[in-house]
Amino acid sequence: MLSTKTAARMLVALVVASLAAIALTATASGADATTIRIWTDKDRLAAVTKVANAWAASKGATVEVVQKDFGQIRDNLKTVQAETAPDVIVGAHDWIGELSANGSIVPLFPSTATKKQFPAYALDAFSYGTAVKKLYGAPVALENIALVTNTKLAKVPTTWAQLQASALATKKKTKAAVGISVQQGSGGDAYHMYPLFAGLGGYIFGKNAAGNLDPSNIGVANPKFLKNAALIDQWNKLGLIRSSVDSSISQDLFLKGKTAFWFTGPWNLDTLKKSGLSFQISPFPSIVKGTKAVPFLGVQGFMVTKFATTHNVESLAKDLVSNYMMQAGPQLELALSNGRFPANLNAAKQVKDPQLRAFGQASAGGVPMPNIPQMNSVWGDLGAAWVRSTKGSGSVPAKRSFLGASRSIAQKIG
Amino acid sequence: MTSGQATAARTAAGVTVPKPSLLARALPAFSGTVGLVVKLVLLAISNAIGLWGGVGFLTNGNTIAGVCVLAATVAIDVLYLVPRQGLVPAKFLIPGTVFLIGFQVIPIVYNASVAFSNWSTGHNLTKQEAIQTIQETSLAQPANGAFYTMTPAREDGTLVLLLVDQASGKTFVGTEDGLEPLPAADVTVENGAITEAQGFDVLTGSELAGIDQELAGLVVPAGGDSFVRAEGLSTALELKPTLRYDPKADTFTNIETGAVFSDNGKGSYATAGGEEIDQGWRTNIGLANFKEVFTNPLIRDPFLSTFTWTFTYALLSVLLTFFAGLFIAIALNHPGLRFQRVQRSILILPYAIPAFLSLLVWRGLLNDDFGVVNNILPVDVPWLFDPWWARVSCLLVNFWLGIPYMFLICTGALQSIPGEMTEAARVDGASGLQVFRKITLPLLLVAVAPLLIASFAFNFNNFNAIYFLTEGGPYSEEQSVAGSTDLLVSYTYKVAFQTGRGGDYGLAATLSILIFLIVAAISAISFTRTKALENIV
Repeated sequence: MLSTKTAARMLVALVVASLAAIALTATASGADATTIRIWTDKDRLAAVTKVANAWAASKGATVEVVQKDFGQIRDNLKTVQAETAPDVIVGAHDWIGELSANGSIVPLFPSTATKKQFPAYALDAFSYGTAVKKLYGAPVALENIALVTNTKLAKVPTTWAQLQASALATKKKTKAAVGISVQQGSGGDAYHMYPLFAGLGGYIFGKNAAGNLDPSNIGVANPKFLKNAALIDQWNKLGLIRSSVDSSISQDLFLKGKTAFWFTGPWNLDTLKKSGLSFQISPFPSIVKGTKAVPFLGVQGFMVTKFATTHNVESLAKDLVSNYMMQAGPQLELALSNGRFPANLNAAKQVKDPQLRAFGQASAGGVPMPNIPQMNSVWGDLGAAWVRSTKGSGSVPAKRSFLGASRSIAQKIG
Repeated sequence: MTSGQATAARTAAGVTVPKPSLLARALPAFSGTVGLVVKLVLLAISNAIGLWGGVGFLTNGNTIAGVCVLAATVAIDVLYLVPRQGLVPAKFLIPGTVFLIGFQVIPIVYNASVAFSNWSTGHNLTKQEAIQTIQETSLAQPANGAFYTMTPAREDGTLVLLLVDQASGKTFVGTEDGLEPLPAADVTVENGAITEAQGFDVLTGSELAGIDQELAGLVVPAGGDSFVRAEGLSTALELKPTLRYDPKADTFTNIETGAVFSDNGKGSYATAGGEEIDQGWRTNIGLANFKEVFTNPLIRDPFLSTFTWTFTYALLSVLLTFFAGLFIAIALNHPGLRFQRVQRSILILPYAIPAFLSLLVWRGLLNDDFGVVNNILPVDVPWLFDPWWARVSCLLVNFWLGIPYMFLICTGALQSIPGEMTEAARVDGASGLQVFRKITLPLLLVAVAPLLIASFAFNFNNFNAIYFLTEGGPYSEEQSVAGSTDLLVSYTYKVAFQTGRGGDYGLAATLSILIFLIVAAISAISFTRTKALENIV
């Protein structure tokens, strides 16, 4: 039998406990049916908030913008609980294969008139499907690397021979260990090396009859590339490129005037403008005849998650993404907010910054980073192949190195 | 009378009593009203967390977990509120047990359960969700399918879609029964959209936000498999499934080609030829992950070489740092040393800098062409780009990082060795080296051996030390998954996230269980060996 004192104690405890529990659950309560929750990164937070709120006001909805680390948006989407899950995310086009296979995002069907305002590759970058391709996101901003030339040290090259000659001349003059600032580091960097890779005839995945990327067709060591691979060994011998150059070294060398050329993207535009150097941004010149040295394209955009349906805001979310966000006005605002080139062609025409326009022009013919999840097996090996063949003395001949990488990638994809 | 008053009374009587210990003084302070309040607050927190978690589980449909959590919460309340002598031992055992279950048992059980599943990219849903997702994803615009500008409206309270075909400009009303033409005379069209229609209440502005659920449920049949559905709030389009689900046979059939996809038992719908539908589900696949580790050459072959390097790395890291730390500790333990404290503080500095920062700095310093180290040295050493030199670099940097820790624990242990023992040995004529070998080292090892084992286990899984310095590289052209400096743990990361389609949590959990078994076995053997040390004294 409990004494009255004990009973009183228990009562007190339970009251306190219930209050605390209510406080806890109140903080974790879900959003109501007319709130759209958007996950975005720090750089885009302000612009997304502004643009999304302008849309929400006209629809009687509210918007909750949550700041996340860019990479975390993709990872957290796999494990997030439905109550706190986003309805819309801002992410990169090369996530969509994985997100679609995981059932995390839903297909979108914008009108033909809307789609006409976008370059085909931007829509293609956001399309995925093993049988029939579907559009999974609204492209907003494009980014790609381009050739930055220090115009005090060299003329903007129109041929590879000019580029190589100027790079080596500068190298000799400044006694730098390398001719071109293109970053690798011990872990490799297949992204920054892509213009050279593509310029020698390399490709990552071929396409099947339906026009979709085919993970069984790996072009890392295709015959055309292998035929040109001896050039890599030559560059290595001349010290034109070096795997020991990582991101900070490549920037340092260029900004200190030790190299005349830098392979970099719009994320370094501010740094370039502040440096006081006279520079010019241009497309990469062809390395071998008939093959363009194009960069990888990254497209960022908005996607609607499966949680929008769970939260009963599917139509609202789709209206925001596949209708409103694809219009020129919001596109321009979003792209310029963090210094990227807008995907919408009408918005692109309104970009005033000549340097940003130059980055946009260098994207012509570029290849969107493959968005199929098998790309996970490629990055490491392709980067490592370049590292092995461009580390100066003791390098592995490029032909052997890339054949090894190709074998390894095929094995990993299985 | 409290014990404090008793002490005071006896001291007053002239008897000197040693001051009671901190615990003895703290206990009575907590047994009165203060104690009750503290207890109630702690219980309230426990109840709040228990209720929140339990109710959360129940609402998510996880009944067993919810009931267990709630029952445990009630049991804890009873335990601490019912004054019964027999429950006292449990009062001391329960908090530790709760933390043991929460932070050790559940994660291990969860990890083990993941190891038996196929959780990976494309296997992230439940089967029910996967079926829904496949059906939804299979919808496609038929060739020449209509695309409409849509205006949601109500007809006698029921939601309908007022549609304008974007190609022909014809107007329709879409209901659950189908599409019906609307006479152009009855509607007002502005900018391609219907703004007014006879007999319909057009919904605009803030009215649109509330109709989402209704709108999502409105499917307008458009002949055959096709239907018209809203896309957003101002457009609608004709859609047609490309796959048809048969719930009885549990198969998907491609409507165009007739290909049949059935449950392959591995969490996917696949044809007999092995073609899989992208979206699969998470399911138990038994020992398949373990089989994969031991039979797939891609995973198995690098495992052995990586294990050898991991073992060597951890062992050498511990031994080198221990002897260096011990040497410095002994050197700085000399009684007559000047600025002893300053010297000790300076030596601990590397320990105070976040390891990832110093690792990145070292990466810069050791850079083959641009690093300071090679600029100073008369020869060019390929510190990070040659497999063997990269291993040396990893050990060197970890040596630099690890010395302060070993120096600290050795200094502590040295100071606890009674000076009389070494003095007695000296008097008996032992040389300095003999004193060190026969007295100092054995006594020291009794204290630090468990820490050395812990340090070994830590370095065995020292992901950061490798990833920030070499990222596991350099890679040989034969080696596909692991680089020459990859430890088992970074190799696991690469196997799970950088092969196949990535995100293979099942395989990662399997490998981490294997690593756990290896480390546990090594530690168990070492601990039984160190017991022998204790018999020395």
